[in-house]
Amino acid sequence: MDKINRRNFLGAGLILGASTLLGKETNKKIITSTKEFEAPIVAFPQKKPMKAISDRPPLLESSRDIFSQVITPNDQFFVRWHMPDIPTYIDLNEFRLEIKGSVEKPLFLSVDDLKSKFEPVEITSVLQCGGNSRKYYAASGQATHGVQWGHGAMGCAVWKGARLKDILNMAGVKSTAKFVGVNGLEKPAVDETPKFFREMEIDEALSGELIVAYEMNGEDLPYLNGFPLRLVIPGHFSDSWVKMLSEITVMDEYRKSFFMDVAYTVPDNDCECVISGSDFEYKRKPIAAMKVKSVIGYPTPNTVIKKGSRVQITGVAFDQGKGIKEVMISLDGGKSWGATALQKDYGKYAYRQWTYSWEPKAKGEYTIMVRAINRIGNIQPQVDEIGWNAGGYQYNAVDSVNVKIV
Amino acid sequence: MIKILIIALLLGATSLFAQVSKPIEMPYIDYPMVKGDHDEVAQQYCLICHSFGYVLNQGKKSRPYWTGTVAKMVNEFKAPIPKEDQQTIINYLVKHYGYEANAGH
Repeated sequence: MDKINRRNFLGAGLILGASTLLGKETNKKIITSTKEFEAPIVAFPQKKPMKAISDRPPLLESSRDIFSQVITPNDQFFVRWHMPDIPTYIDLNEFRLEIKGSVEKPLFLSVDDLKSKFEPVEITSVLQCGGNSRKYYAASGQATHGVQWGHGAMGCAVWKGARLKDILNMAGVKSTAKFVGVNGLEKPAVDETPKFFREMEIDEALSGELIVAYEMNGEDLPYLNGFPLRLVIPGHFSDSWVKMLSEITVMDEYRKSFFMDVAYTVPDNDCECVISGSDFEYKRKPIAAMKVKSVIGYPTPNTVIKKGSRVQITGVAFDQGKGIKEVMISLDGGKSWGATALQKDYGKYAYRQWTYSWEPKAKGEYTIMVRAINRIGNIQPQVDEIGWNAGGYQYNAVDSVNVKIV
Repeated sequence: MIKILIIALLLGATSLFAQVSKPIEMPYIDYPMVKGDHDEVAQQYCLICHSFGYVLNQGKKSRPYWTGTVAKMVNEFKAPIPKEDQQTIINYLVKHYGYEANAGH
């Protein structure tokens, strides 16, 4: 804490210095330019260089080309923390996951305990921030509050760990229990700031699908992705996939909290969107199950392609776990649509890669669009059809990429 | 030479069995802030909890947008910013990272 504050103080001085230099040159531009600020590309610990939206708390976005593969490598997996005070060292001899509250026997489990006392399970699952793709809401009219992510706040990994159900059963959940709260080791800079605390109903916690993961793609979790433990909730937005998971509290009553009742909520109606008036006039509900979505990994925007060459268009699609039925593609900006070829199935919660071979025969500008449908008929909305919410959550409209054929 | 080899072997082994066995060092990024119009007030309060990257990431936003954002920091995240300084920060953000009008976002 002390260390972070001192660093920040020092940092402020550095920023002042930098802005003095920049001020003169960019003064004119600042007023007239509508150009976006380009975040620097920086290599953080255990990461390749990534788009660094912020260093404190760390916000790192993956680049679009990552969506041309099913498994997102750990060193390119996006990073999103809420609080600035994050441990930079965890001693596994000291670290314990505490299970407490309405249980017969509170537990203090080491990472070794989790590995040795519980059946290990593996699941391949998409991890997507609730605010992923938020910046595209601005394209359909109204900007939304929050980090202006492109598509790069998502990834897909193989998670290995112990079932939350097994852990709770070892502790013995009391019959009065109705909710389970989870939190990790990140801390705010100001004591009054609401803690990052997430809750779920006891039935969900005991479903058997949630795991307390200690491995990601066959390695220890990277520090920035939540070392040493992270909750995994397949099919759900990442808001409750708590990083550096340290406490699991079984509760008889729901506990009101900022991060459950205000942040990460949408209007509680069928479209989960604002039909008229202000967003916060609506009864709220927390975002949970993900929406069907597909994203183009290759080509990336503004790629220049030689006429007559064979282009392997590819990307990924996923949903809340019902399974992708079809991904359609358009090469003429949405006038006509064809089918892509779905690739190997890595499980219902994983990315489904799709491909399409294209041999452009005429020069010019092309808009490639993709649209996924899942097995229960959920289809991605068009950009001008997507329902709007003030938090900019759950964006899943049709993705498009412009390329030039020369 | 032998000593160097042993050290190399030890280092290799360490990184295999525990990837985070020693403190990691987080990089510091100096996100540029336009100087003037009391940027020091924005620095003093905004940077308590987050880097200026958060602000730059928002792109140019309207006065109502920035007013709402500062209100969120104070009301929801409990940023200890006195009323007068809140207005100074909003004015700074609108002038350098936004615009007055409501329309168009």
